[in-house]
Amino acid sequence: MAQNLIFRDIDEPGLHTLDVFRRRGGYGDRLRKALQMPREALVEELKASGLRGRGGAGFSMGMKASFMPKGSMDKYLVCNADESEPGTFKDRELMQKIPHLLIEGMIIGAYAAGATRSFIFIRGEYAQQADILEAAIEEAKAAGLVGKNILGTGFDLEMWVHRGAGAYICGEETALLDALEGKRGNPRLKPPFPANQGLYQGPTLINNVETLATTPFIVEMGGQKYAEIGVQNSTGTKLVSVSGHVKRPGNYEIELGMSSRDIIYGLAGGPDDGRSVKLWFPGGSSSPVLTGDDLDLAYDFDTLAKAGTMLGSGAIIVVDDSTSVVDVALKTAAFYKHESCGKCTPCREGTTWTVKMLQRIKAGEATPMDLDIISSVCERIIGNCLCVLGDAMAMPVGSMVKKFRGEFEEYIEARRLEAERLLLTSDSPATPLTGTESVTVPAHPAAA
Amino acid sequence: MPRPEQTLITFSIDGREVRAPENAMLVDAAKYGDVEIPVFCYEPKLGAPVGACRMCLVDIEGIPKLQTACSTPVKDGMVVHTQTPRVKEAQEAVVEFLLVNHPLDCPVCDKGGECPLQDISFGWGGGTSRFIEPKRHFEKPLALSPLIAIDRERCILCYRCVRFSQEVSEDYQLVLHERGAATYVGTFDGHPYVAPFSGNIIELCPVGALTSRPYRFRARPWDIEGGGSVCTMCPGQCNVHFTVRDERVLRVLARDNDEVDDGWLCDRGRFAYQAIHAPERITAPMMRDGGVLREVTWDQALTAAASALGRMHGKVGALAGGGTTNEEGFLLQRLLREQLGSEDLDSTAGIAPASLHALARPDLQATVADLEFADAVLVLGTEPVDDMAIVDLRIRKGVRRRRMALAVATPRPSSLDPNAQISVRYAPGGEAAFVSALAAALFGGDVAALARDAAVQESDVRALADMLRTAGQDIVVLYGQELLRLGGDTVTAGLLKLAGGLNVSGRDGAGLLAVPRAANGRGLAEAGVLPGYGPGYARRDVESRGAPAIAEALRSGDLTALVLLDVDPVRDLDDAPRWDAALERATTVVARSRFLTEGLRDHATVVFPGESHAEAEGTVTHPDGRLQRLRPSIGRQGQTRPGWQVLSELAGRVGLDLDVLTGAMATSQLTAAVPFYAGITLESIGGRGVRWPLLDAAASFPDPGDARAAVDAIGAAATPNGALRLGTFRSIWASPEVEVSPALKFLRPIQRLEVSPADAERLGVGHGERVDVGSGPRTVGAIVHLRAAAPEGTVFLETGIGTDSANVLGGPLVEVRPRGGTPTGTADAEDAVDSESAAGTTETVASEPEAAGPEPGATDQSPESVEAQPAEAVEETPGEQAPHDADEETAS
Repeated sequence: MAQNLIFRDIDEPGLHTLDVFRRRGGYGDRLRKALQMPREALVEELKASGLRGRGGAGFSMGMKASFMPKGSMDKYLVCNADESEPGTFKDRELMQKIPHLLIEGMIIGAYAAGATRSFIFIRGEYAQQADILEAAIEEAKAAGLVGKNILGTGFDLEMWVHRGAGAYICGEETALLDALEGKRGNPRLKPPFPANQGLYQGPTLINNVETLATTPFIVEMGGQKYAEIGVQNSTGTKLVSVSGHVKRPGNYEIELGMSSRDIIYGLAGGPDDGRSVKLWFPGGSSSPVLTGDDLDLAYDFDTLAKAGTMLGSGAIIVVDDSTSVVDVALKTAAFYKHESCGKCTPCREGTTWTVKMLQRIKAGEATPMDLDIISSVCERIIGNCLCVLGDAMAMPVGSMVKKFRGEFEEYIEARRLEAERLLLTSDSPATPLTGTESVTVPAHPAAA
Repeated sequence: MPRPEQTLITFSIDGREVRAPENAMLVDAAKYGDVEIPVFCYEPKLGAPVGACRMCLVDIEGIPKLQTACSTPVKDGMVVHTQTPRVKEAQEAVVEFLLVNHPLDCPVCDKGGECPLQDISFGWGGGTSRFIEPKRHFEKPLALSPLIAIDRERCILCYRCVRFSQEVSEDYQLVLHERGAATYVGTFDGHPYVAPFSGNIIELCPVGALTSRPYRFRARPWDIEGGGSVCTMCPGQCNVHFTVRDERVLRVLARDNDEVDDGWLCDRGRFAYQAIHAPERITAPMMRDGGVLREVTWDQALTAAASALGRMHGKVGALAGGGTTNEEGFLLQRLLREQLGSEDLDSTAGIAPASLHALARPDLQATVADLEFADAVLVLGTEPVDDMAIVDLRIRKGVRRRRMALAVATPRPSSLDPNAQISVRYAPGGEAAFVSALAAALFGGDVAALARDAAVQESDVRALADMLRTAGQDIVVLYGQELLRLGGDTVTAGLLKLAGGLNVSGRDGAGLLAVPRAANGRGLAEAGVLPGYGPGYARRDVESRGAPAIAEALRSGDLTALVLLDVDPVRDLDDAPRWDAALERATTVVARSRFLTEGLRDHATVVFPGESHAEAEGTVTHPDGRLQRLRPSIGRQGQTRPGWQVLSELAGRVGLDLDVLTGAMATSQLTAAVPFYAGITLESIGGRGVRWPLLDAAASFPDPGDARAAVDAIGAAATPNGALRLGTFRSIWASPEVEVSPALKFLRPIQRLEVSPADAERLGVGHGERVDVGSGPRTVGAIVHLRAAAPEGTVFLETGIGTDSANVLGGPLVEVRPRGGTPTGTADAEDAVDSESAAGTTETVASEPEAAGPEPGATDQSPESVEAQPAEAVEETPGEQAPHDADEETAS
């Protein structure tokens, strides 16, 4: 069932302003309560809530905060607002309409992490949201909610908005840190994890926008109470972005454990009449796809993991039977090829190779053997890369080839026949090559 | 600081129990069990692993995913598998991925045959490729610099070269452009990658993407032989490996010796091998005949030299420098002292020998590696990248990896300033005052007066003293030996005071490290090429002359003959005009040299061909006391003969039997004569060298006594009074080898005047303008080079270059006159312009307020790399590389 917590007052006009947000309980007792708790108690509260990261990895937020070392070194909180996963647009709405909820969540998160400096790394394309956030931070600063001695509790927190330059990889936490430091945004080797050596080599807690925005409610309700929402190991509510072939695409807040069919058909209205769901991405374009047969799966972390996919960022992309799976696979692979940073070999070369093979399938120059190679390349990428970007292509594309092998083979055969027919009926019959023709090598754009 | 201690642990690899140092990366630990894990991006010399290539994936029990062995420290009890089907599949996968876009043009690739990508594909790859699509294409090959060609299609993006540029040499020139499979290596705006250490990236490249342009298509690995030796072009004495084909040196590679060079080479050491086979090289004996040097037979040359020297008994002086070996120096001093009745010989350009003796004490000696592991390093009066290039990288490493505290105290802005906690600028001429001021700030004395004499802020001196006092136990002072010449005994006393007060004496990891002027400066001094000191600093209580006195004696006629080993005083020593006059007056000048530099061309009567470091045999002594062995890799060029043989034959003809029939006999004589070399043999030196201060024989080092006894009055830096102080430096590129190496010619320095923008504005000269810089009647031409970090009131000029060298000028003050216009007008017109602008300058200068001392605090301390200059040079001389361009065509 749908439940509203984060989006409780989402349609309230002027919610992005401090006044309205305060009237709706923002920056009130719950923030004071959080800042007056001992730090360890707050971390315990977060752990008890069972809140799992909403950015994609689904790691316990309380655990992550508890990894932050004690001591007086410079520590940082970084909010990952580089929402770049295709199909995901929940943080965008959140930041646009309730910027102060994120700021309040960051204050609580920073307090739990012992950080006194915080950054919101927002993707460059979210210019409007960045402006809104900056204005909200100014408002909060003027009201004494950001800066020195917040609410008179003695807790200090500086906050900056940093706009990214448009690379998907900067949503990977260590690449984000490099980019924030002014370097080329490439993932770092882990370990060390950011909690030990993060931004400027200091301990750093990195969380997704939605994760941080949930913390005020956990403080408000108490961790135990929050954990009662949802199902075991998948507590609370989740913002789900539904897109693709549905009648009512958009963001929906659901209680975890809800049936997927209820989300896709109930909330989003399902595909157009007469169409059926062919496949769907349950957690952004990097999650292995599910088919129409899987619609009754409960939408929570564990159930989806058991089904061989993941909840990811909570972005459901629905593809109906009007679309060829080859197009979906190529589109997906091309995105990750374009966004691969190039640092590690399997991702850099594997994504490029996969795209080239899929393009060959589309051109009618492939055989079913190429499907075996695609599967093998995807398998050879998974688990062998420096970060998860390679897996993010290999998992969905590999799953599509596996689950829709028949359709791929039919497509290959049809395109092959089509290409053959074009060749035979062409006005100018193909002349055999003499071997003296000059071959034009496509110049690489980079070399030009 | 003590080096990190290693504890051994036991882990299991492929079913075998192996003992390895704890926390060694698995790649290295596996070698203890004779297991090779393939790598591309891993190179410990470059710092922390990046885990980019994924070649080293291994299976570690207890960890679900495969792990990169290059970044996983080994722990006790770890169980590692490198041969399981899962690991093999991953290895095959990575090789297949790497070859997807690799052109596999091995038959025309320089790297073929010595290529890690070939080896690993063969050893760990699947053997076939399933990739049938078109490969990635780039324009190729391109000149990354005049020295390096880049083939981006071959590149496997291992990041090594970029990491070297960013994290080792810190020139920050190489970057990765674009993203994903389109990524490529280049410089930010496409300018040539010219830097003092750029050539190292060729050796780092695990494929044929970065190749040496001078070596391109000259040989294949199966054509070549190799030989290890030592580079003697600077005191750094890096260990090198010569690639030899058909008796020609075609390439120089680093021969890793962490105690000396850390496995790096500078570009001079790497590319100046071309000078070995340059047509300018002297390969036959020559004699002056009718005013011109003509080739003659060895017999003629030796007879002529011997009869002249024999006649001049008691009136012969000798100088040695450059890479003259210990043995040659030793035999030279025997010849002079035992047969020619002379004590007038020098290898130091005029440093008081007692100073050298006092500072050579084994207990004061720091090593090169100490520069990395010290708590603090003070760089005093030297620019490492120019004077002893390789230690520049070592200091950077210490600062970067260990956060070692670095202080720089030099007259000229240093390329290490950005890495230093404190940079202090004293004025040229203020050397003695500065060292005394520092000693006073540390141990008491009148700091203010001394600081004023050194034209430095008192607060800077005190800050430096505070840093040294509080930095920790292990302090290393890297000082230019020129300080001892410029500042006299005061500097020696000051350095000894620093060493005593900072408690570095006898302390491992702390001490003093000299940067001598000559490549084998330390060895020649120890072999006895010093006035008043025999081999092993044995005092000789006889009248003797050092270099400046030899010049005077030649001019006055007290000396009439001069023997020169690898030194041209007109080019290499101060006060060129005086040496020019001295040599002119001398009746006989017998020189051994590889090149006819100015002084020899004009004045030598007999010239013997000298050996290059690829031909020489014998020993040299590193500034930290390490004896290193030179081994010939190629036959001697032309009629060149070994140095010991030439000296032995010469001695024989003047009636002295040196009893040297082989190079090894000369070494035995040397080690027998120098007490603290006792027991050292060519075998014990081997390929890594032996540090004599560590041997028992070091106890026989003669006690220098108390050098602090006699301290002269402390000289002060000259007050400009409107003129400008002159500071000089010798760039890494100032050497005859650079001038004659086709590949390096473009870096040959052209005299430039480094001046602060404020001074330039006052003088009315702009960047790039031609000026005359003069003191008294002497002037040199120079091009104005504005340098924001240059201290006001002081200008800097280069020495050691062929034309317009600063050693023509006397100093300490100079005037700068704009030359005005282009030098194309008639002589009259030019003169007119000159006198006009000279008058203008005088006027400007007169209006200048007094005591315009440098204010280091006020000047812009922004890092200004010395590398900037060569980059310009590329643009200035684009045609220099013509002989190599032809090679590029064949590749495509």
